[in-house]
Amino acid sequence: MKKSLFTVGVFVKINTRRFFRDKLALFFGVGFPLIFLFVFGGLNSGSSDVSFNVALINESTTPFSKEFVKQTEDSKIFKVNKDVTTLDQAKDRMTRSELDAAIILPKDFGSVKQDAKFPSGEAKIVFTQNNQQSGQALGSILDAQFKGINAKFVKNETPFTVASQQLNERSLSAFDYTFAGLLGFAIIGMGIFGPVNVFPELKKMGILRRLSTTPLKVWQYFLSTMIGQAIIGLMSLAIMFAVAIAVFHLQVVGNYFELAVFLVLGIITILGIGLALGGWAKNERQAAPLSNIVVFPMMFLSGTFFPRFLMPEWLQNVSAFLPLTPIIDGIRLIATEGKHFIDILPQLGLMGIWMVVIYFIAFRVFRWE
Amino acid sequence: MTAMVEVKNLKKRYGDKQAVDGISFSVKKGEIFGILGPNGAGKTTTLEMIETLRPIDDGEVYIDGINVADNPNQVKYLIGVQPQAPAFQDKTKLIEVVEMFAAAYGEKVDPMAFLRDVDLEEKANSYVEDLSGGQKQRLSITTALVHGPKVFFLDEPTTGLDPQARRHLWELIEKVRSKGISVIMTTHYMDEAEVLCDRIAVMDNGKIVATDTPKNLIKQLLKRGFKKEQHVEQANLEDVFIDLTGKELRNGQ
Repeated sequence: MKKSLFTVGVFVKINTRRFFRDKLALFFGVGFPLIFLFVFGGLNSGSSDVSFNVALINESTTPFSKEFVKQTEDSKIFKVNKDVTTLDQAKDRMTRSELDAAIILPKDFGSVKQDAKFPSGEAKIVFTQNNQQSGQALGSILDAQFKGINAKFVKNETPFTVASQQLNERSLSAFDYTFAGLLGFAIIGMGIFGPVNVFPELKKMGILRRLSTTPLKVWQYFLSTMIGQAIIGLMSLAIMFAVAIAVFHLQVVGNYFELAVFLVLGIITILGIGLALGGWAKNERQAAPLSNIVVFPMMFLSGTFFPRFLMPEWLQNVSAFLPLTPIIDGIRLIATEGKHFIDILPQLGLMGIWMVVIYFIAFRVFRWE
Repeated sequence: MTAMVEVKNLKKRYGDKQAVDGISFSVKKGEIFGILGPNGAGKTTTLEMIETLRPIDDGEVYIDGINVADNPNQVKYLIGVQPQAPAFQDKTKLIEVVEMFAAAYGEKVDPMAFLRDVDLEEKANSYVEDLSGGQKQRLSITTALVHGPKVFFLDEPTTGLDPQARRHLWELIEKVRSKGISVIMTTHYMDEAEVLCDRIAVMDNGKIVATDTPKNLIKQLLKRGFKKEQHVEQANLEDVFIDLTGKELRNGQ
């Protein structure tokens, strides 16, 4: 037994070294998921704050209008596009949905009319049919702002008011879902596409066949692959976590040790699918279509790129049992919701069942050539 | 003395083709045994059955007295196999290749010693993809010997090599035999068989049609009245080539 594990150890050591020498493998193992992280993270970050893309067309020259423009530009609610200065430009951009609406301050906006003690004016909001909701929302926001301004000039009784209060509890942001999904994507990339691309190549070159003339056992070969993948995978996922925390303000509230153990279990479960597919396939022509059939439905149904709660209920019920689903859910539950192993027993149980099934198949169908 | 390799009435069928049709031979300790024959004669299938890589349909193979079909794992420790086209995983240093193959047998060896045996010590830290065909053959030979096997199999080892690399490989095979290892090889080169092999089996259509020393086989042919046009040549074109270009291995071989 000690000798058998020595064999595994040497294979792990040398194959892990090989990974770090292989720039292509490094790119697909580490760089590729990072690119996805930046793309999807960029799409989702900041989505917790509602903001409107608006053009602010100021035709007035009054001090009040200047002050108003400045305040609007500083506001978090508005993203003012400063390239747009005329209504025509704004219309053009609105039809392409680059802008939600245009706010127009007419010439007399903020001027002090005759007989009046304070400035007055009417701001106009222009929006397209498709943007009615944002247009109306924008209207009430501006309305509320003006009420505040009005109150400064004219004393008013306000019998009924609304007070809003923000709770201190954190809710899951869209990015939390996206990030767990992206980790799932990275795990698939390494665990399935890795062996599916490499094994047929090794078979074609006769490298596995040569190994089969030695007393090396399939389980030793699998175990060395599993350990190597767990090491490389943890490193790659750790980099993703670091970037997500540093750049996208991911808050990891869970226990890092539990997280690491869970990630390793996830990596090994998914790697089993790759070992089964790559181990069975005699060549690339068998490997590629089969892996696509397995990977793509699982990738989309398990919530890699968009969360499962967006799916119709019957589909959620089905996709809940896919091998990747408990992994993605578990990562999110531990990392961002601070759950412990004891809380995610259903996920762990489902992964355990899949692991047994997948590795049983992988051992049965493995071919050295 | 019992033979190191004993093959008795070995058979293998693929569909309706009897690839190997009841062949028998034996190989002594430290003997170089050649299997010759046209493509499709069943040479490689025969080797693969002896090497435990293919199930045996019928007949028996014993290596050092151990039945191959019954104890394939035990037999794997006794044999070293050189495939037809040796290949290694890229981005691996030679020293690591030797280390890995030794580890496959559960052994820890001094990789440099094994690389020195095949004149590759200065390549120890190169990657396998930077080796020439001849160098790959030599690396493959030494990886097949890391565990000290008793029988060494080579499948067309010199195909595609230039005359210098071939001669160098012949010397290596002689060296392996001098350690008391039995060598079983296939080849398409008659000169190679004549120079290297102590005995030859000629296969055709899955059967052995003759087994003897190269000298005896030639004698028997002549006895049957075979005559070739007589050219008394003191040298042939290969002699010219070696004379002009020398026996030394070239850079990158």
